[in-house]
Amino acid sequence: MTSSTPAIEADGLGRDYDRVRALGALSLTVPRGGFVGLLGPNGAGKTTAMLLLATLLAPTRGTARIFGLDVRARRSAVRRRLGLVFQETSVDGLLSIEENLRFAARLSGLGGSAVREAVARAMSEAGLEPRARQLVRQLSGGWRRLVDIARATLHRPELLILDEPTVGLDPEHRERIWSILGRQRREYGTTVLFSTHYLVEAEPADRVVLLARGEVVADGAPAELRAAVGDEIAEVEGPGAGRLLDALRQRGAVVSVRRTERGFRVGIAAGRANPMELAAGARDIERLSIRPGTLEDVYFTQTVPESP
Amino acid sequence: MSALSAIHGIVVRDLTRASRQTGRLLGGLARPFMWLLLVGTGYNSIARLEGGAPYQAFVLPGIIVMAALFGGMLTAIATVYDREFGMLRLMLASPAGVPAVLGGRALAAALVAMLQGGIVLACAPFITPLPASAVGPAIGALALGSITSATLGLLVAARLRSVENFAGVINVVLFPLLFVSGALYPTAGMPAALRALARVNPVTYAVDLMRHALEQPVEFSAGRDVTVLLGATAIAFTLTALLFDPEQRFVGKATTRA
Repeated sequence: MTSSTPAIEADGLGRDYDRVRALGALSLTVPRGGFVGLLGPNGAGKTTAMLLLATLLAPTRGTARIFGLDVRARRSAVRRRLGLVFQETSVDGLLSIEENLRFAARLSGLGGSAVREAVARAMSEAGLEPRARQLVRQLSGGWRRLVDIARATLHRPELLILDEPTVGLDPEHRERIWSILGRQRREYGTTVLFSTHYLVEAEPADRVVLLARGEVVADGAPAELRAAVGDEIAEVEGPGAGRLLDALRQRGAVVSVRRTERGFRVGIAAGRANPMELAAGARDIERLSIRPGTLEDVYFTQTVPESP
Repeated sequence: MSALSAIHGIVVRDLTRASRQTGRLLGGLARPFMWLLLVGTGYNSIARLEGGAPYQAFVLPGIIVMAALFGGMLTAIATVYDREFGMLRLMLASPAGVPAVLGGRALAAALVAMLQGGIVLACAPFITPLPASAVGPAIGALALGSITSATLGLLVAARLRSVENFAGVINVVLFPLLFVSGALYPTAGMPAALRALARVNPVTYAVDLMRHALEQPVEFSAGRDVTVLLGATAIAFTLTALLFDPEQRFVGKATTRA
């Protein structure tokens, strides 16, 4: 294993549950220090992909290597390099924060003074010191999640796999969690693979993999994916929305189209046409706005089937 | 090293949890003391056993084993709670592997069993004279019975998916193990079919070994008791490791919300 060995190499990785195909064939290479988001609707295969990479499920097909180590043959060695955050918090309500972290440190193979040092550092990084002796069952969901993040990072894993780490949290706790993860990346070069339904959280990622119905439907840097649905997004509503769409099409400006409840969301190529000029004076256009494209536009374009 | 660290962590965590569930610990002790003091006192007036010994003295070894059996098995079966509330997946995701996780759970449950059985043993002099020479062997018998109880509990937990089945397990597994063991009445007086069941019940040998330790009349040699208990522990642990499906906790989640 050399320093150029990727953190994650998956080739055609898939898993079936009886006759249900949870993940078709995921091929993914993540360099060391990478920051990669897995997006997709519920049931898309994100959790299955993460559990396969974390050696907690056996693949039905394909291969995966973590830092060059096969996930089937070298499970223990792979796990030593991993920090995992599951969708639901994995902390014991009957133990204090410090006791939970000590337990997790020993589970990860640390012993003696290494346990004390790792727990002290993790509590400091997550800002948990003032509450160290508080029972976890007395904490709010946000604080519990912070304990969970501290638990996953305390042995300084080379790869963090986080399944919706911020789900259900208020903006303050979400920001704290991303701040802790950012510090792990900057100071320790940790590779981070995460899933989220808050698409704005995936904007800073180096790369986004979009899954739908167990298959990869889009894969690239956020800017590339956004460009694929248009340089700008025009939201047009009203009885005349269809005519405006036709006019944009005639000028070759339409990159993508999604029907909305009262009109269309149109991805347009910059410089081909100005929707505002085309709509000027049209009484049957009730609303027209132009904005930059987002990952949410990519998400809807790629994962939600167009109604007939 | 990682296996030992994990076992250490699991034992400390389980004992810390047990120490904070005092209601459960006291409840676990109420059952043997009710048998010993209420049922035992009542039976004293109607039952005299070999040599004219009072029923309470006869039943004492069985009640010590009963305390350990319930303490050990119920603590081990609590693995089902950990499965349901997410702590088991954390343990299974550790580098230590399934045998270390099961070993840690078994050791912690055995220590809880020893504590509960030990408290009953410590009260033994109030029931019947206990020679000083009996204390060491009794602790040894208790330790072996506790480890067997804990591994039997893990075996039950291996395939138990929901905490809703917990009460059923007590009725279907724990009580039959106790009733068909010679703990509460001599197996010699049982019908042949029940006596045959008693012969394959590891708890029978734990009770018999405790009778050896407390210098009471016995059915088997101490060597046979120890051999059967060690064998039952090894078989139960191996079966648990084979039956325990590490994917179980994850497949359920992944199927429903992949």
